[in-house]
Order: sequence, then structure tokens, then C-alpha cells
Amino acid sequence: MQIRYILKEGFSGFDRAKLSMFASVFTVTASLLLLSLFSILLINANSVVESLRQKVEMEAFLDDQITAGQLADTRARIEGLEGVREVRYVSKEEAAAIFKEEFGEDINTVLNFNPLPASFKIALKDGYRTSVKAAMIYNEVKAIKGVDDIIYRKQLLEMIDHRAMMFLWVAFGIGVFIMLSSIVLVANTIRLAIYAKRKIIQTMKLIGATRGFIRTPFLLEGFIQGLLGGLIAAGIIFAVFRLLEGWLSMQLSDFVRVQPWWYAVIVGTGSVLGLLGSMISIRRFIGESVAN
Amino acid sequence: MIELRNVSVSFDDQRVLDGVTFSLKRGEFVYLVGQTGAGKSSLMRLLYMDLMPENGDVRIAGYESRSITNRQIPHLRRRIGVVFQDFRLLEDRSVYDNIAFALYVTNTSRSDIKKKVLHALADVGLSHKRNHMPHELSGGEQQRVVIARALINEPVVLLADEPTGNLDPTSSAEIMDILTKINMRGTAIVMATHNYELVKRYPARIVQLKDGKLIEVDKAPGRVARSSP
Repeated sequence: MQIRYILKEGFSGFDRAKLSMFASVFTVTASLLLLSLFSILLINANSVVESLRQKVEMEAFLDDQITAGQLADTRARIEGLEGVREVRYVSKEEAAAIFKEEFGEDINTVLNFNPLPASFKIALKDGYRTSVKAAMIYNEVKAIKGVDDIIYRKQLLEMIDHRAMMFLWVAFGIGVFIMLSSIVLVANTIRLAIYAKRKIIQTMKLIGATRGFIRTPFLLEGFIQGLLGGLIAAGIIFAVFRLLEGWLSMQLSDFVRVQPWWYAVIVGTGSVLGLLGSMISIRRFIGESVAN
Repeated sequence: MIELRNVSVSFDDQRVLDGVTFSLKRGEFVYLVGQTGAGKSSLMRLLYMDLMPENGDVRIAGYESRSITNRQIPHLRRRIGVVFQDFRLLEDRSVYDNIAFALYVTNTSRSDIKKKVLHALADVGLSHKRNHMPHELSGGEQQRVVIARALINEPVVLLADEPTGNLDPTSSAEIMDILTKINMRGTAIVMATHNYELVKRYPARIVQLKDGKLIEVDKAPGRVARSSP
């Protein structure tokens, strides 16, 4: 097969069928923008959930009678638990200082003694800040000698877990919907463009062109359309986030992460969409009788 | 070179061709006549294998309907030229590219393509319109481009399905002159028509389709008698 011919034919849409070329590229761009903005929103929401989870830590209060040796032992045992990232000791004096900061009064002067126990603040590793795993760690810490009581924001974690699951399912549903409509939309636009050329396809078959010979330029054209649509969509997203960053005068990229490889994914998805769209469409018409 | 043996074709339980037997030798010219709907186009489709017979066997240019594969059909079509009433030009490209397309598919080199296309255009008297788009040409000119394209791969047979159906008498005569010239050079021609005026003016073998049967009307008239069966 002649590469020159295929390349020439593949790019001929720019010259011969400007309107349908534009329609296909525009459809790919619109679909990708929709998909990308949705994905960015999803990641954004997910980072809010994650930052809420970051706030969850446990506090294990210690027996007042604990000795220095037992303290070190208890600490070592907590640190040894799976899922524990960091253990920080809060002495009775520090607890009183925190109390004073929170309530504005010195507990020693109110009660004449300090009832606040010393404690370990326990930070959990990523992936362990779920209600199920936190409950497991809670039970393990509670069983350790020297630990009197342990608190953490159980309800908050349960709420996050529940909502996050629901949120994920809804998002997944919307994502699938957008993805399917994009494929249908792109395939349909390309199909209309190819439909307009079905007489030409039949004539080519009549002259003795093989299916591959007819198909390849169409696939190349679909790929180019998708690639272009992807490049435009990536360009628009890049520009929009640049502008937003400027206007909001804050580091948007910290909050909504648009990683450089994202742009590659957008362009790649566009190319695949275009290729798939033309593959599906050409299949339909290439099998038709040439005498229609 | 063309042989149909006891070929039958039906559409929606309606038998269009019923046990048709027919043969054509190299270099022969035959008119296929019959009323609209008599099955002329179906017979043509059998020949370029867009339609497969229910019964019987079609042999053309070394291929057989029983054994031909989908992959071989394009190769068969390169060995036969097809001309239609509605021209079937590739509307999105120039006259030159229309003819060149038939050579692209056979992987001809660029320099050969140029030489052959310019030669073919000269043959049908359209060298000066090589860069025109099909819609800029008259009906007669379009049909000449189609003929040039059909002949560029030097087919053994040219199938012409009502080639003058959409043309005025002057253009029709031009097309007939070209077809006769081609036939003189040794290309066999099957021409479906119901223009009896033309058949009278350019006498050749005539077969008629009637009620699904093929009848030999005139075996060896006129100047092409030498190549009749």
C-alpha cells in the first residue's frame, strides 16, 4: 500500500470536507473538556475528603500511676502496631497548657490539682484512616497495659467513609455516562461524515480497492481528528487553569492537581476516541453492496 | 472467459434469474437487453461478484463464484472494468485523481501512474480537463472519464450497465464510438441497454433477459461476427 497515498487521503479532509472535519474535531474537544472537568472535580472533591481524614488522630490517655519504664514500654508497643505512623507524648503539664489555651483558665488554680492525664497522640498511616481500620487499632491500643482510655473522632470517620463510598459510586456512574456519551457522540459525528462518503466507498470497492486500502485513510483521518480535538481540549484546560490561578491569586495547583501527564492522557484519549469512532463507522459502510 | 452455468438468483422469494446459461469469448461484444426489472443489473452484479448465485456457477477472468474468497474479489474487479448509468465517479477528487485511483489500488509506481493516466485522458479526449472536478463536467464527459478509469488496468472485459442511459443522443454516440474502438482493440464488452436505436446502429450479438431466462436473439450480426461463439 502506498504510504504517500494514505497520508494524502488521511489529511484530505481539511481540504475536501472542512465542515465535517470541524464537526468531528469540535465533538472530540467538547467530550474531552466535559470528561476532564469532571475528573478534575472528582480529584478536587477527593482531596477535600483526604484532608478531612488527615485530621483524624487518636489520643491514648495513660494511667496516672505509670512509671517512666512502663511509659517507654507502652510507647514502644503502640509504635509497633500496624498502621501507626507517629506517636507523640503529651505530658500532664502540656495537657494543662493546652487546656489553658482552650479555656483561658489554669486548671491548677481552679481545682488546685491537675486531673488531666498524660497521653500519646497517635497519627495513623495513609490508608488506615478509615472507620474499620481505626476501630481495629483502637482495640489494639486499648488492650495495651498502661493505656487508660482512648478517643478518636469515630463518627467523623464513619461519616466520611459512608459519604465517600456514596460519592464514589455516584461519581463512577456519572463518569461512565459521560464516557459512553462521548464515544456515541464522536462515533455518530464521524459516522455522519463517513455516511456522506458511502457512494465513494462503494465506487472504490467497484474499482477493486481492498477493504484495508479503503479503510486505512479513514482511520488515519479519525485519528488526526481525535488528536486535534485532544490537543485543543488540553490547551483550553491549560489556559483555564492558568487564568484561574492568576485571578484567584492562590496556588490552585495545590488544591486541584492538574499534573503534566494529564495533558498527555487528554490528547491520548482524544486520539483513541477518534480512531474508535472511525473504526466503528467504517465497518458499517464497507460491507455494503456496491450496487446500492 | 465469461461463463454462467445454470445460474439462479432470487430476491424476496421472487426469482429474477432462472437457470441462466451464457458464455462470452475474449474480444466479443454483446448487448444484454430486456425490460426494466428483467434482471440485467443482477446479471451484471453476478459478473463483478457483488451478488452470488443461489444455484449454478459464474466463471469470469479465471475466478469462480463457488471458490472465490472475499479477499480475491477486489483482485477480480481490477481485471474487469465497470461502467454505470450514473457514472460513479469519486466526487471529492479531480478527473486525474479519479483515473489514478484505479492504479493506486494496484500499487503502480508514481511515474507509471502519471504516464498511464495522461495517456488514458488523451484516449477519451479529456486531457485539458484533467484538473476539473466531476461535477464541472457534462454527462458525456463524466462517462468518458469512467470509461478511461475502467480501462486503465487493461481489463479483459468491460461491463457497461446502461452506459448511455443518462445521455443525450450525441453523447451516446460518442460513448458508443469509444466502446467500439475499445472492442476493436480486443477488450470484450457486455453492455446492458434498452436503447434499441443504438443496438441497431452498432450491431453485435444480442441476448435478451425475459421472465428470468436468457434468450439468444441475434447470434452473429454485423462487424463483430468474427468473434461470436
